[in-house]
Amino acid sequence: MNGPPGQTGHADNDEGMDSGALALLKLGIDFHAMAAITSSEGRFTYVNDKFCAVTQYSRSELLGQDFRILNSGYHPKAMMKELWQTILGGQVWHGELRNRAKDGSFYWVSASIVPRVDPAGRPVEFITIRTEITKRKVAEETVAQLNADLQRRAAQLESANAEMESFAYSVSHDLRAPLRSMDGFSQALLEDYGDRLDATGQDYLRRVRAGAQQMGRLIDDILGLSMVTRQEMTHDRVDLTALAQLAIAELRQQQGERLVHWRIGEGLAASGDPQLLRVMLDNLLGNAFKFTGRREQAHIEMGRLGRVSDGVFFVRDNGAGFDMTYAGRLFGAFQRMHTTAEFPGTGIGLATVQRVILRHGGRVWAEAQPDKGATFYFTLPVVEDPS
Amino acid sequence: MTATGKAILLVEDNPDDELLTIRALKRNHILNEVIVARDGAEALDYLFGTGAYAGRDVSVSPQLVLLDLKLPKVSGLEVLQRLREDPRTRMQPVVVLTSSNQEQDLVNSYGLGANSYIRKPVDFEQFSEAVRHIGLYWLVLNEAPPVRRG
Repeated sequence: MNGPPGQTGHADNDEGMDSGALALLKLGIDFHAMAAITSSEGRFTYVNDKFCAVTQYSRSELLGQDFRILNSGYHPKAMMKELWQTILGGQVWHGELRNRAKDGSFYWVSASIVPRVDPAGRPVEFITIRTEITKRKVAEETVAQLNADLQRRAAQLESANAEMESFAYSVSHDLRAPLRSMDGFSQALLEDYGDRLDATGQDYLRRVRAGAQQMGRLIDDILGLSMVTRQEMTHDRVDLTALAQLAIAELRQQQGERLVHWRIGEGLAASGDPQLLRVMLDNLLGNAFKFTGRREQAHIEMGRLGRVSDGVFFVRDNGAGFDMTYAGRLFGAFQRMHTTAEFPGTGIGLATVQRVILRHGGRVWAEAQPDKGATFYFTLPVVEDPS
Repeated sequence: MTATGKAILLVEDNPDDELLTIRALKRNHILNEVIVARDGAEALDYLFGTGAYAGRDVSVSPQLVLLDLKLPKVSGLEVLQRLREDPRTRMQPVVVLTSSNQEQDLVNSYGLGANSYIRKPVDFEQFSEAVRHIGLYWLVLNEAPPVRRG
């Protein structure tokens, strides 16, 4: 960084500045900055109090000393070369330097180095004014460090997401094909060669088919769970009552002879992603429907707890419930509270519910008793009502 | 169901799926000739009368193409794109019949002009039912595009 040529030995040719003003200017400089003068060989001939304070050397230690004792060895050679070329050429150099104090610690200065040259243009001494900027530099370094960290993490996340995406794609395509073979050819055996198998043989084939189909559902649920995590979210006003009614309409088709009393609160609304919240309610209401399967009269209720502004909702059933001792595992993927024989399932439903709620910045928890039913609570951002 | 005599082109690289699809067609009394192409390149050869199918009368087009997406050499989506770009095959009915229901596959398939998209179920009964519907709709109910002249 170059400035105009250095003054050529006439300190008093400032426009209209008398000696009184010059004295005050020096006072101001002493108050504000570290000032020093070095000889052409680089030895200190003058230092002000602030210079001593920041460098931690006394004036007597500094005077006659080579200025290089301040060097920190931090700056690249090219930059130092440019500095010297500038000031030896009679130009002002300005820039930021890291220097070393007497105790070995480092400090940063914003420095201007002004060469004083003789009539032949050779520097005879150097006047330097420095302002300490350590705090700012440390803050800048911290910010730069944080930014670099953030960028690295964003890149990692992006590549993890891309990997997840291609993993899901491959799972979706390649993992289901062998299951189709297992199921399809077991069925073909049953159809074409069933008469040559006894009841046990046929039962085994049915078990192969059931296993293949269960794994098919598992794959679909895992893909659904990963979709819930990856999919971009919107923040719309979502009518939870209407979504619940849609979910119930589908469940009613499986209802058959079962007696299910549905009670869905009116005007339940939240701010969020309609597609994700539909998946969440499908799972919660589907669970309530499933786990009341052995009740003569099933009661399933969805509503709001407390004030509208609290955004707390619940789904309650009088089904099989569960032991709260195991509640900690409730929302983990592949965790089940009941055997597949008691109630079929893959153990992905509540993990999906939790991911949807967490992505909305909400919480989900449950209260239950074995054989007395369960209540699932969840919070969602409430809709900002303009009225 | 009575199906007319035109062929079905089944583009499928998995021999198990090929066998199961043919089984499901027979089971549902769909008696059309089934031509199997085991990768995308073979499918294009058949449709455009090139390679192993050089000299085939390409004015005789299949009544229906059942197209898998994940195929060796030339992907199902690429096959679809090539069909839609060529005036000879632009109107060819194509049903995507594949394992995945990933959103990107659905979007790309419809975007490139697939007529229908069916996900192969794991359960053979359901698969057979899907094939029955495909046959009923595309081979019986649906009016095929007119044969191109000249």
